[in-house]
Amino acid sequence: MIEIVSIAGFATIQDGGRPGHMHEGVPKGGALAPELMSRANVAVRNAPEEAAVEVVGAMSFVARVPLTVATDDGVARALACNDRFSTANGPEVRMRYIAVRGGIDVPAVLGGRGTLVVARLGGHEGRPLRRGDVLRVRDARPRDTSLPAFPDLVAPVRVIVGPDVDRFDRATIEAFFAASFTIDAGSDRVGIRLAGPRFVREQEADAPSAPMVSGAIQIPPSGQPIVLGPDHPTTGGYPVIATVVRAHLGPLAARPIGASVRFRL
Amino acid sequence: MKPRLVPFGDAAYRLPLPPGANGRAVLEALRAVPRVVDAVVTERHALFTFDPQGGTPDGLEELVELAEQAASVPAPALAVRQHMVTVRYDGLDLEEVARATGMSSADVAARHASRTYVVAAVGFLPGFAYLRELDAKLVLPRRSTPRSRIPARSVAIAGLYTGIYPFASPGGWNIIATADAFEAFDVRSGATMSLGDRVLFTRGPS
Repeated sequence: MIEIVSIAGFATIQDGGRPGHMHEGVPKGGALAPELMSRANVAVRNAPEEAAVEVVGAMSFVARVPLTVATDDGVARALACNDRFSTANGPEVRMRYIAVRGGIDVPAVLGGRGTLVVARLGGHEGRPLRRGDVLRVRDARPRDTSLPAFPDLVAPVRVIVGPDVDRFDRATIEAFFAASFTIDAGSDRVGIRLAGPRFVREQEADAPSAPMVSGAIQIPPSGQPIVLGPDHPTTGGYPVIATVVRAHLGPLAARPIGASVRFRL
Repeated sequence: MKPRLVPFGDAAYRLPLPPGANGRAVLEALRAVPRVVDAVVTERHALFTFDPQGGTPDGLEELVELAEQAASVPAPALAVRQHMVTVRYDGLDLEEVARATGMSSADVAARHASRTYVVAAVGFLPGFAYLRELDAKLVLPRRSTPRSRIPARSVAIAGLYTGIYPFASPGGWNIIATADAFEAFDVRSGATMSLGDRVLFTRGPS
């Protein structure tokens, strides 16, 4: 067991997500940056997608039994009973992951253990963690996987244009690829908001909602792009100028507030 | 005419659906394909996702044909359910909707409650259903400024749709009623309403 003794910011239990329920309005969810979460898990000999704690901010906990823990730095540490462990996101990354050998013990809901806060679903009581929460630890069988490399958090982000490319003129698409954006402080698990040039289009009549995926770069009426994250609405009416490829989405989500972002084909 | 399959990133494709397509049949057909991870069907589009680590799935032509055939299946071919939803017409925007439509609040309520709706899409939030067949006199645009928080179980209208907010969330629809006892989503069984289901609103004590 671990007992959370302080939290600043937003911490939730996340895992590899719950695929297969998007037709019910349930997004896949899971870690914002699976590439970082898997490093923490692999370091404690968990499966890469085992349930772990995603911390946007800072968190401290006390081990109530002897445990092995790691963050996405990939270094396992043994904790004795009553040892305290703290982590915080530094200036180089927006969130950290804490994995405990065996995995965090919360029930699987619709095939996933991650928290979908808007629907109070999964995780610990369907909500963000708070001081005083006590989390049990599972005893998933240890396995050895090689530690994944730390992802590149500065390279241009690869996208595929569209699918709503015909709702933008050529000049707008060129301007989008020429632009340098920064990660806006309003970013969360629903979407990464990008500050920078705005792409205001002529006001259209309400477009009917269409299916959405994580990584879709929506252009809302404000013109400020939003990259849909793991807890995105499964349908939406804003046009999608381009979509981030799966392997680049986690590393984009891991960039800290204020970091710069460029897109490439 | 072949529907045009459009890449949606490297892990999904989207295809347009013809007007009047049997969305439920398209959804079931896509979900039955082994390499399809997720499928979402709205009135004009179908989307399916796959794991890009396995590369682009082959047999896309066949998959499109499958969806195309399903789209033209007659609507009652699949079992649809009927949901009775008891509501109170006490929404925050009821009077504004009445003003905008030139009716009394009682007329708005009577027109909203007196028909059978069809689930045209499920999405946005877990369990949220876009319900079609709204009375033409109740068709209004979304609110110009969305609310940052709409209470759970609010019944609202926007454009050609009505719907029930399963959870408190931001939203721009016009709130006309409350569905006190209706659970649109259950953590064990998932969404209550599926594509093609019928929904009836009945008036409870106010």
